[in-house]
Amino acid sequence: MKHSASNWITDILQQQDLPPVSDWLSELRRKARDQANQLPLPRRKQEAWRYSRVDALLKQSFTPVVQPPNGSGLEMPQSLSPHVLVFVDGWFNPALSRISDLPQGMVLGSLREHLDDASVKAHLGSLANSGENLFSALNSALINDGLLLKTGTGTEVESPIEVFYLNSQAEQPLLSQPRNLILVEENSKLTLVEHFLPGMGNAYFHNSSTEIHVGEKARFSHYRIQDEATDAWHLSNIHLVQAASSHYHGITLSFGGKWARTEYKTRFAGEQAVCDLRGLYLVGDQQLSDFHLDIHHDQPACHSREQFKGLLHGKGRAVFDGRILVERIAQLTDAQLTNDNLMLTRDAEVDTKPQLEIYADDVKCSHGTTVGQLDPQQLFYLRTRGIEEQQAIHMLCAGFAGEIIEHMHLPHLREQAGERLRRTLDRL
Amino acid sequence: MLSINNLHVEVEGKEILKGLNLEVGTGEVHAIMGPNGSGKSTLSYVLAGRDGYEVTQGEILFDGKNLLEMEPEERAWAGIFLALQYPVELPGVNNMNFLRESLNAVRKGRGEQELDAVAFMKLVREKAASVKLDEKLLKRSVNAGFSGGEKKRNEILQMAMLEPRLAILDETDSGLDIDALRIVAEGVNLLRSAERSIIMITHYQRLLDYIEPDFVHVLADGRIIRSGGKELALELEDKGYAWVLEENAA
Repeated sequence: MKHSASNWITDILQQQDLPPVSDWLSELRRKARDQANQLPLPRRKQEAWRYSRVDALLKQSFTPVVQPPNGSGLEMPQSLSPHVLVFVDGWFNPALSRISDLPQGMVLGSLREHLDDASVKAHLGSLANSGENLFSALNSALINDGLLLKTGTGTEVESPIEVFYLNSQAEQPLLSQPRNLILVEENSKLTLVEHFLPGMGNAYFHNSSTEIHVGEKARFSHYRIQDEATDAWHLSNIHLVQAASSHYHGITLSFGGKWARTEYKTRFAGEQAVCDLRGLYLVGDQQLSDFHLDIHHDQPACHSREQFKGLLHGKGRAVFDGRILVERIAQLTDAQLTNDNLMLTRDAEVDTKPQLEIYADDVKCSHGTTVGQLDPQQLFYLRTRGIEEQQAIHMLCAGFAGEIIEHMHLPHLREQAGERLRRTLDRL
Repeated sequence: MLSINNLHVEVEGKEILKGLNLEVGTGEVHAIMGPNGSGKSTLSYVLAGRDGYEVTQGEILFDGKNLLEMEPEERAWAGIFLALQYPVELPGVNNMNFLRESLNAVRKGRGEQELDAVAFMKLVREKAASVKLDEKLLKRSVNAGFSGGEKKRNEILQMAMLEPRLAILDETDSGLDIDALRIVAEGVNLLRSAERSIIMITHYQRLLDYIEPDFVHVLADGRIIRSGGKELALELEDKGYAWVLEENAA
């Protein structure tokens, strides 16, 4: 059955019978629903969608998961962390999770269980604008559950928190829509690791939305590892706001899915904040990976560094669209954006578009992109040292990717990422 | 050990080596000198097996085996080592891992057991000290951001680790000040042995003040036009290349 444009969204929205929530959230949902019904479908004519076709996605019908799934067939993922949270089809699954003792005042768990908290009411939807595009409207229209993380002020959490987004087995493709709210409050320090994995699912659409507020002098390390199923669609929408002198350190590794898009929208709410944003994508046949960054320097003396690297093999496709906007008020901004792509085959393809828009006059900004192949000189050098060609290629690819991976301060994540890379390269 | 007979090599259709002959015996140190563009670097790349160098005539025998049929890594296993004029930077490839991969690949290729982590660490520390390479450089990416002297010392460290039977030093003195040159030369001298042959390719005589050759050859226009003992280098220093070139033309 062929779906016309508006049918796609109405089909999804009418299928469900949402469990009731508080009035304020019903209102938020209703508003988003109206927007979803009115917003145009993403089209290639729109700049933000020019290179990442969504035609196939919009031809597929999806069933939203409106009741907590039982998580059958799923096991608690292996993790060294005392805090492991599992979300199945976007819903928190307590049976598969474990949360150890938390510092006084810290909240960690299911958003749904805290819908009446004042801070949830105050912050949910404050950054993510459901009118932005169809997918964010869709997420807001069906808000049910997601991750809630609120540190309280001056909280240092030593152990990283590990979150796993898994999927149920299903006859019809499911729509998984975690809605996450992360409040790293003043003077707090925290590391969060998010894993996006198939679980039992194969063809599903992960459409998550995450709002992050980093308070004054807070430090937040945020590692995201996307390794969805081969037939899955993945869209992550991340909204970030940073208060004065805060530090956000974010790394996204994009390995899986047939269509995976990550959108970052960041801005500052105070001076002297630092935003380090890094990403690595590995794509091959039947895969598209897409990063969209919107870095908004609207405060003076903030520092941002965006470093993204891609390894493309087979007929892999990637899109990188990174924009830094420096407002007139944002004097003394230091912003650097780079995107480097290593093409292992002739058939791989990347569209990269860095943009720098500067309205202040006393700033240090730069951007640069490269698209290249393995350097024959480097390969020759390794071979003269006795290393066989295939191994030399591995070493150079691992070295290329390593410049992103090395920034993850958790050794087990670096190892996992290295191992994941090796598995793919071994098959080439 | 090495026997080069009537070697003709083309690069991008242009003949660079035009009938080069050279015999290097076990344990001998040969210096190949010559003006720019004479084919010195081409010779070193052909010996190491770089792509893009087409041998149109002649042969190279290494221990009686046809070197030209071997891949670059197979030559390394057989005991050939090329210290590059411009050591390549490998961003993201850790120097220590690189040395370990390299040593174990060569050992495996030679049918020897791979070294375990402890034995490797011991060896690499000892060798790094012998070429006065700061251990901090072992933790960095290979050659990335190294000074000229550090890059050359890193090459000599690799040579010390791999213990080649034939080492080719391509313009190892280029870009080095006297102090750096002395350290590199000391490293090379430590590796001189009755089982190891060395070919030094250089434009200038000064390297030979520190590493004394048994034989000196002058390479010009793709051929060796004169060979002699170390005194030939001094004569060249004194009279310049023009002197041999003229004599040769006469």
